[in-house]
Amino acid sequence: MSLILQDIGRRVGRKWILRHLQLEVANGECLALLGPSGCGKSTTLRLIAGLDLADEGSILIDGQDVSKVAAVDRRIGMVFQSYALFPHLTVAANLCLGLRVRGISAAEQQHRVASVLALMQLEEFADRRPAQLSGGQRQRVALARALLRDPLVYLLDEPMSNLDAQLREDLRPELRRLILNGNQPVVYVTHDQHEAMAMADRIAVLRDGQLEQIGTPQELYLKPSTIFVASFIGRPQINLLPAQSGIVTAIRPEDVHLSEEGISCRIIDIEWLGTSQLCLLDSPKGKLRMLCNSQIKIPENVKVKWSSEKEHHFNSESGHRIN
Amino acid sequence: MIRTRNIWIIALLIWSLSPLFWQVYTSFCSPESLIQPLSNSGHRWTLDNYRQVLTADPPFWRYLLNSAIVGISSTSLTLLLAIPAAYSLSRIPAKLARLVKLLMLGAALFPYVLLFLALLELARSFNLGNNLLALSFPYAALSMPLAVLLLASAFKDLPVDLEEAAKLEGLGLWQRLRWVLIPLVGPATASTSILVFLFSWNEYPIALTWLSRSDLLTLPVAIARIAGTSVYSIPYGPYAAATVLGALPLLALVMIFQRQIVSGLTQGAVKG
Repeated sequence: MSLILQDIGRRVGRKWILRHLQLEVANGECLALLGPSGCGKSTTLRLIAGLDLADEGSILIDGQDVSKVAAVDRRIGMVFQSYALFPHLTVAANLCLGLRVRGISAAEQQHRVASVLALMQLEEFADRRPAQLSGGQRQRVALARALLRDPLVYLLDEPMSNLDAQLREDLRPELRRLILNGNQPVVYVTHDQHEAMAMADRIAVLRDGQLEQIGTPQELYLKPSTIFVASFIGRPQINLLPAQSGIVTAIRPEDVHLSEEGISCRIIDIEWLGTSQLCLLDSPKGKLRMLCNSQIKIPENVKVKWSSEKEHHFNSESGHRIN
Repeated sequence: MIRTRNIWIIALLIWSLSPLFWQVYTSFCSPESLIQPLSNSGHRWTLDNYRQVLTADPPFWRYLLNSAIVGISSTSLTLLLAIPAAYSLSRIPAKLARLVKLLMLGAALFPYVLLFLALLELARSFNLGNNLLALSFPYAALSMPLAVLLLASAFKDLPVDLEEAAKLEGLGLWQRLRWVLIPLVGPATASTSILVFLFSWNEYPIALTWLSRSDLLTLPVAIARIAGTSVYSIPYGPYAAATVLGALPLLALVMIFQRQIVSGLTQGAVKG
């Protein structure tokens, strides 16, 4: 294990914004921190980077306790949400600055900057200022800077949130190729469950500064441990049926099927999505979302059912999974 | 709409520039024509005033040089102290920063003329009289509140991410200031420098009391001396010529840096 957070806590004033967080990220593993805004995921990243210091617990990188080490000395490669490129410097100078202050020889600087520019296909932009670059190009410069840091840990803070959907899809394989296939642990903060599932080996879902569940995307999708995780992972959102004798039953829209016999429902709305269509149903158990093949012509009144194996059950009080 | 606006602008320009033009006009007039403004004698236009000022002992450029030395040294000293102070002020907890800013505003509002006797005592005990560079101590001190407040708001406006990115790149505090933060507050630094320079260029009471050797005088004191050279007449012409000559370097400075000054002064006014 290369990055270990032991019982980390962070307090602002008297309020704990993060508490009792345990995480382990192996070399070459990508862990996504997923959660709504204010859940503590960015705080966690800042603690690992050393931009804030933990109020309790310790952080180990390669077995070394770095809890008290200043950010300057931690050897962290971070991509900021805003990219945080130095606006007064050209792309090449942006990339050079860190190398220079870390005492790398001029020839070596040149060589490394040139090779990273080539790797990122940024050669022609070397003399431009960040303001003259598009969002995607800026993001690549930010990635290049993180690569040149030669870090022990990569931290990515919503690296794609400022890009349009098309560009995100294009950049995902590139990001995987450049950083996720390395030998360092990668922590990837996002509020987009789709991105987390696409990029990460494991996902940690955070809520109100606490770890809700951690596991592979499959585990989180197939066996969410709380109602919160169930509704956060998977789109369209899971159906939560009204609680009966303290038990909430949940069923994913893709597990709801049209059937000859079953619950009679009325169609309220249909979103045709190309490969599938999402139907909003009014059923005796409340509103239901159903995802079905886009080829089917759907009448106004339908009968639906699902296999009971696909149901998830949660305690309605605690929100925890039963079974 | 545009026409009324133009009229306003013209009125404003006349209001603020006419004394200057009057001074320029006066500087080219012979003493006789100044007394008889409407006579049409052939001796109206003259360069005599300038000649008189420039060939006096010590020549006028000496005062320009003195003022420049004082201006540059006090501006440098101010920036040297104000930049780190402003950076710290922008990074300490907000409550403490507010208190410090309030105190500095108080200091800035204090009429400094009241200090000059005390300052004179200091100059005497530390032997700082008749020393051009020594003038930069009181000047820097007096400019400090304004400089720190201006620069602190500029530092405050920089995105925090930039400094944090620099930290993660391994830049220590001084390296961050040198390579990232100071270049980025350049416009605010330029406008602050101009204001400090302007203050020291125009300052009168302290310069009057700290300097007595005639070859060390700064412009305002020197100009005042020209005005008081004779008991029987007021030498309007040379006086006007001296003010025009004294204003030219400043005018040039402001012209060169006007873009930075405006962008520095309005920094933080509008969130981009």
